[in-house]
Formats: sequence, structure tokens, C-alpha cells
Amino acid sequence: MPRQTFQEATVAAIAEEMRRDRNVFIMGEDIGPFGGPLKSCQGLWDEFGAEGRVIDTPISEGGFVGAGVGAAFAGKRPIVDLMFLEFLGLVVHQFGLDGGAMHYYSDGKAKIPLVLRAKYGVGPFHGHAYDLHSWLLNVPGVKVVAPSNAADAKGLMKAAIRDDNPVLFLEHMGLYHAGREDVPEGEHVVPLGKAEVKRPGRDVTLVASALMLKRALAAATALAKDGIEAEVVDLRTVVPLDKPTLLASVRKTGRLVVVGEAVKTGSSSNEVVAVVAEEAFAALKAPIARVAPPDVPVPFHGALEKAYLPDAETIARAARRAVTGMN
Amino acid sequence: MNLGNQTLLDLYRLMVLTRAIDGAIGKEDGHWHGLEGEEATVAGTYHGLAPGDVVAPHYRGSLTAAIAKGADLRRLLAGVFGKATSYNRGRYRSDVCGPAEFGLIGLYSGALGPPLSYATGAALAFKLDAKPNVALAVFGDGTSSRGDCHEAMNLASSLKLPVVFVCQNNQVAISTLAKDRVAGQSVADRALGYGMPGLSVDGNDVLAVHGAVQDAVGRARQGGGPSLIEALTFRASGHFVSDRIETREVKEVAAWKARDPITAFRKRLLADGVATQTLLDGIAAEALRETEAAMAAAKADREPGADVLGANAVYA
Repeated sequence: MPRQTFQEATVAAIAEEMRRDRNVFIMGEDIGPFGGPLKSCQGLWDEFGAEGRVIDTPISEGGFVGAGVGAAFAGKRPIVDLMFLEFLGLVVHQFGLDGGAMHYYSDGKAKIPLVLRAKYGVGPFHGHAYDLHSWLLNVPGVKVVAPSNAADAKGLMKAAIRDDNPVLFLEHMGLYHAGREDVPEGEHVVPLGKAEVKRPGRDVTLVASALMLKRALAAATALAKDGIEAEVVDLRTVVPLDKPTLLASVRKTGRLVVVGEAVKTGSSSNEVVAVVAEEAFAALKAPIARVAPPDVPVPFHGALEKAYLPDAETIARAARRAVTGMN
Repeated sequence: MNLGNQTLLDLYRLMVLTRAIDGAIGKEDGHWHGLEGEEATVAGTYHGLAPGDVVAPHYRGSLTAAIAKGADLRRLLAGVFGKATSYNRGRYRSDVCGPAEFGLIGLYSGALGPPLSYATGAALAFKLDAKPNVALAVFGDGTSSRGDCHEAMNLASSLKLPVVFVCQNNQVAISTLAKDRVAGQSVADRALGYGMPGLSVDGNDVLAVHGAVQDAVGRARQGGGPSLIEALTFRASGHFVSDRIETREVKEVAAWKARDPITAFRKRLLADGVATQTLLDGIAAEALRETEAAMAAAKADREPGADVLGANAVYA
């Protein structure tokens, strides 16, 4: 099994799907010979550039995401590299409101199989960090994927490309080049809408995705030393939510801590909380807790970033409080 | 361009049908965005496209585009009321969103501008697949101010895509006059900046519009890239039927009404000996009959049931 970074696994998935299906192509800013910012498209130009399937676009996010919607409408399976999730506001109309609605409004006659890639997250790059995916929770028809590791990045990217709907594919910059992991070769597809229990436990459920999943796992290790067995659920797909996995875990542990990188108010974490409150209230033995950054813009200095972003310790503290009722 | 008599009569029919539909819906719906006076631009633009072509129409003329692409009038009119028999079974108003199965891209979210990039993307698909199809992006003078307009044209021309941009310039955006808010006055002149052909035509002359659009379509089909055509016409009606606010000079409105495109084309067909008065009267009467019958049927069609809501039908 090859060992790859998140970035390498993601690009490998794209290359495999481009080999498998000629309708798949990719476009975005600086993704050609330059290879994409942070090597997001490294190697694709060499293999597919001559066929016109790796397209460098001008700086016009609304225009080229819209062109992705139009190409999908006409039968292609575009992957559009948005570069950074900060640019989501420039394309919500094209990707979300229209792209997400066309299948429904056309009574199933139009399909928009479109993958929108976006880098984000507090990490080594100290910029472009905003986690804004929660904006799309109020837009019907789109899916949101947030892998936490290289193998899932590969499998989820393959599933996203094969999906017939607009899918936002989140690439956390703090995970992007952070070491190599075993990644299955070839036909490794992780279905959209399926969460994974990464660590079983009986006392409290920790729900997270992407970088926060990594920190939730670290928190669970620390909690185990105190005799608290945390069950860690990796959402993997934020929209649509895997309710059965989520509810089964909460029914088992009776306690829920939801961890997210988006600021607290209006975060997608709140949807997880709402689902559990509506459907598993009777199973709860403690108030639900949210661990999230405060409602402030992402800061720059490392010390401020540290104060801003939840870490294993803040997550563990919230879990302990849920289990013991004490701070 | 030398058009056969049948094409000329087809254009005439599409114009009178457009006016008949405009009148019929206007009677039913005070919020109908009418297009009296713009029939030459829409008929000339949409007539003669191929089945696989994609169109992102201006909302004034979206029904004409759908008819020109082969959609059924009764089902389109049923869509004005959201009836179960309409192409999308009542999920969206058909007067601004044509049936996708005929290659029409609708104005789903209501914002003007993004559809220009959707048409551009469809053209990219045709180019990648080496298909001889074209995409049409039709927009108003108001939308020419959107950044989307610039982004779509720059992308289309830099990639040499088979898309034809048509500015249906009726000189007013709701109440805002093009002469006040379209800097430089000419949309067609912008083509120079994008490195593509740009042409300004009399939008009340159906043959001028049709000739220009078909030239551009032919060029695009052969790999010649995009073009921009500006058809200068005039919105003889309000922004919508019950709109009583008029920001234009009374004299100007009267002068343009005197240049009615249907009357002008009719005179020309008679003068050129293409048709007799009886034949043209017959075509107009038939268009009216056809519209009235379709409207009556559409009104009598059944309303959608709650099952059409389709909470499970959002994802493909």
C-alpha cells in the first residue's frame, strides 16, 4: 500500500478518475504547468494537459465556477479548483443556488455533477484559513465533504467525482502535507453520507471532521488515561449527515460533544446538535456541548490562532464536564 | 444572408406567436414581464438552432426560445400557472425557466448574470467533446453591467469557445435607462476588448438580428470562437404588465411604438412578394387560435399535488 500525504492522495484520486472517465476534467487558477497552489494539481498537467482537460482559468471565480455548472449541465463532470474557501462568497450563487437547484427545478432532467475543491483551515500557512462551509447548510441540493486523513481524501474524492450533484470538497491545509499514511491503491471509494466510528467508547461521543477529528482523537487518548472512554465519530460528509451512525453512538454513550473549526454561531456543528436533540433527547444523560472558535474573524499571530482554535485539551475538558458534570 | 421564403414565414410566425403569448399571459398575470416591441430580437435570435444547442435566454423571450427549440406551448403555458402538466410539474415558473430537456438553462435563482457563465460552460463542454453545437447567452442592457458578463466573455474568448452573446438591449432595466447607466453607450464595442467580433444591429429588424446571430452561430460551430451581438430594441411595455411607472419620454415611447417590428416585417414581406396579406393574416390568426387553445387547456390542467414537492428529489 503506498504511503501518501492528503494532497498526494487527493491528486491521485483525480488522476485515476480522469483516466477512468473522459468526461472528467479540471479547471481553476494556476492549476496548469504551475501545478496548483500548494501542489493541489501536481502532475495533472503533464498527463492530461495536452488533451485540454486541465484548464487554467483567469481570476474570475464566479465565471469559472459558473462555467463548471454549465459544462455539467451539458454532460461533463467538471472538477473546479476554487483555490481557497474564502472565495466561497463569490460563487455561492452559481454553485449553490443554481447548481444545487437545477436537478430539482428541472424535475430531474438536469444533473449537475460538479466537484468544487477548496483549501482552508488554520495551519502552517497563516492565511486563507476561514472555514465557511456552514454557509451552504441552508442551500438545498449541495453536498459537503470534509476528509480527516489521506485515505479518506482519496476515497471521498472518487465518490464526489462520481456523484451526480454539486459537492464541496474541503481540503484542510493543516492536514495537506502533514505526513504520509497508508492509502489503498486503485478502486478505493468512500461513499458520501457515511460517517465512521474512528474509536469506540462507552462514556461520551465526540463528533468532528477534518483537523478537529485529529484533535478529538488526541483528546480521547488523554481521556482514556482518566478512565473515560470516548467514542470518536468522523463525520467525513457534513451534508448530508449520517444520522444513523450519529444517533447510534449517542444512544450508546448518552453524551455528546461536537467539535468544529467554524465559528460557533451558525456552524454546521449546530445541525448535529439539533438532530440529536430532536431524535435522541431521551438518551442524553448530560447537556450537549459544543467546542468551537469564538465568533471572531480568524486571527494571524500563532498565539492568537492557538487561542482561537479548539485543541485536544479544550475538547477533553468539554468531554470531562459532560461525563462528570464538573469543570 | 439569403433566406428561403419558408424561413421568412417561420420568423414571421414566431414573432406573431410571441406577441399572442405575451397578450394571453398579460391578461392572466399582472406580474408577467412582457416583451411587446422586442419580438424581432427574440424571434431572430432563437430561430434556427440545432437540437443539441444550449440556450440561456433573457427572461423576456424565454418562452419564445423554448418554442423555437421544440417545446410544447400548452405545457409551457401550464408552467406559467405551475400546473402539474408543465415541464417541471409546478416546481418553477416556466416563463423564466425553460425545459432543460430542450437545452434551456433557466434563471433559477433570479439573479441576472450567472447564466452567461452557464452558457459559456456548456460551450466548453461542446469544445471538449468536439461537438458542432453552440451555446447562446442572451442578456439585457442592465445585465451588461454585471461582473458576470465580463467574466463570461473574457473566459469564452480566451478559450475560443462556441458561444454567442446576444445583448437584447431594450434600453431600460426596470426603471434605469441604459443611456444613464451603460457607460460608453455601446455594449457591442466591448467585443474589441475581448478580442472577438462585435456587431450592433437594429433589434427591430428581424432579418438583421437573425442574419447576425446565424453568422456568429456558424462561425462558432466551425471553431471560430465567440461573438457579441447587440440588438437595439425597445421595451414598449412596462417592466411587468401592471407596472405603471414610466421613466422614459412619452415622445420616445411613441416613436418606438411606431417602429413596431411585426408591422415592419409584414410590410417587407408584402413588398418583396414573399406572401399575400391573406397568408400573413392567416398565420397571425392561427397563432392567436393556437395560443388561446393552449391557454384554455393549460388553465384547465390539474394543479400539482403535495407529492410533487419531492423532498427526496432534490439530489440526483
